[in-house]
Amino acid sequence: MKRFWKMYQVEQKIFFRSPDVILFCLAMPLVVFIVITMITGGKNAADSGLTYLQSAYVSLSTVGICCSAFMSIPITVVELRSQGILRRMYCSPCSPARLLACDTICSGVVAALSTLILTVAAVFFFGYRMPGNVFAYLAVWLLTMVSMFSIGLMVASLCRTTKSMNVATSLLYFPMLLFSGATIPAEVFPGALRTVAGWMPLGVGIRLLKSVSMGCYDKIIMPVVSLTAIAVICGTVAVRTFRWE
Amino acid sequence: MNEPSVSVRNLTKSFSGRAVVDDLSFDVRKGEVFALLGHNGAGKSTTIDLILGLKEPNGGSAKILGMDAAKHRKQVFERVGVQLQNTQYQPNITVEEACIEFASLYAAPADYPQLLEQFGLGTLRKSFVSKLSGGERQKLSVVLALIGKPEVVFLDELTTGLDVVARREVWRTLKQLKCQGLTIFLTTHYMEEAEALCDRVCIIRSGKKVIEGTIEETIAASGQRNLEETYLFFMGEEELL
Repeated sequence: MKRFWKMYQVEQKIFFRSPDVILFCLAMPLVVFIVITMITGGKNAADSGLTYLQSAYVSLSTVGICCSAFMSIPITVVELRSQGILRRMYCSPCSPARLLACDTICSGVVAALSTLILTVAAVFFFGYRMPGNVFAYLAVWLLTMVSMFSIGLMVASLCRTTKSMNVATSLLYFPMLLFSGATIPAEVFPGALRTVAGWMPLGVGIRLLKSVSMGCYDKIIMPVVSLTAIAVICGTVAVRTFRWE
Repeated sequence: MNEPSVSVRNLTKSFSGRAVVDDLSFDVRKGEVFALLGHNGAGKSTTIDLILGLKEPNGGSAKILGMDAAKHRKQVFERVGVQLQNTQYQPNITVEEACIEFASLYAAPADYPQLLEQFGLGTLRKSFVSKLSGGERQKLSVVLALIGKPEVVFLDELTTGLDVVARREVWRTLKQLKCQGLTIFLTTHYMEEAEALCDRVCIIRSGKKVIEGTIEETIAASGQRNLEETYLFFMGEEELL
């Protein structure tokens, strides 16, 4: 455990040296949140029953998850593989799985930190108070993270080359970021796009988080089951198809 | 007689029908420096991959310290260090962090600051690996190979790309390590390096063994004057002599 911790510390330090982590995971959600809240914070977001402040807080609390799952994780894993680092780790008494576990935890910590920064800003500067149960929200947020991370890990396993990984992450990351309701509030989307958002894995998570944040627990079974299914299926595919080189 | 540190028996591996390693057998004795020599594409790196369990052979077997590396990975690599060709490092990692990370893989790692000093990298602890020169990076990869206090170490084309001074430094250190009883398996393209460091060599051509023996035996068998000429002779490049 002590040895795992040592490796984790190094990896986490390396993570924070990467400018895109700071920019996309930590700074971007905060900036978008401030802009949306300043412009329309108090108004009701369409017929959702949430104000734009409430809606934006929930949506943007998933941006860290989105960046980690669809950018950091696949890029890190594919790079570690193509650079021969996993192969080198294989030639040690430790499994390369340890390095992958460290990096996945690092991504999780970055996603959590992103949400924490957002929460501090929302609560202390914009007077946000969550009507629903905070712990229930936290549980659903974690489920969303695990589910999205399993998709990212599956992409990392299936993509053999950096090129195919770049294509796959771009196809996943940008649509999820823009059209699942994570950055642009889904409430402003036209009907058709809103349906698409509802079908996106991250969109499912965001809608679920919105319900829980408002204290509505009556329609949460389907999304919870969907997210769990995604986690199990993609997680299994990720492990089964994984290669060190 | 002592059990050999590395024992290769009738090892065979082919890729899409082409034999890359062909019925190869040799032993590396405890405490000796052994070189596997051959052209680019002769099957040296594949042989190392097979011995380390990174690739599965089509036939034959390879044992390190009496164990099959693919089956007893943890036990084997607690006692065996490696430096692989073309291994890169994570971007944004420092020399010290790479050492901490690799040390964390072993139950009883060596004291890495001392190893860094020994290899003349002591002042570069805080430097990013990406900013090191080719020679410094190769020396770091040796440090990382030694960080688990191995009994056997595999060095794949360790000194390729090093300048004369850096290469001599690496030689000096390897000689010290040999004096401490370390078994060293290496591949190289520099015959004077094999001559300076090795007890025994094995020359392979298209995955097949051409000759194996001490430096003196090998040279004597060819009737040439030194190992470089011997190598060319066995490679069928007599017109270059």
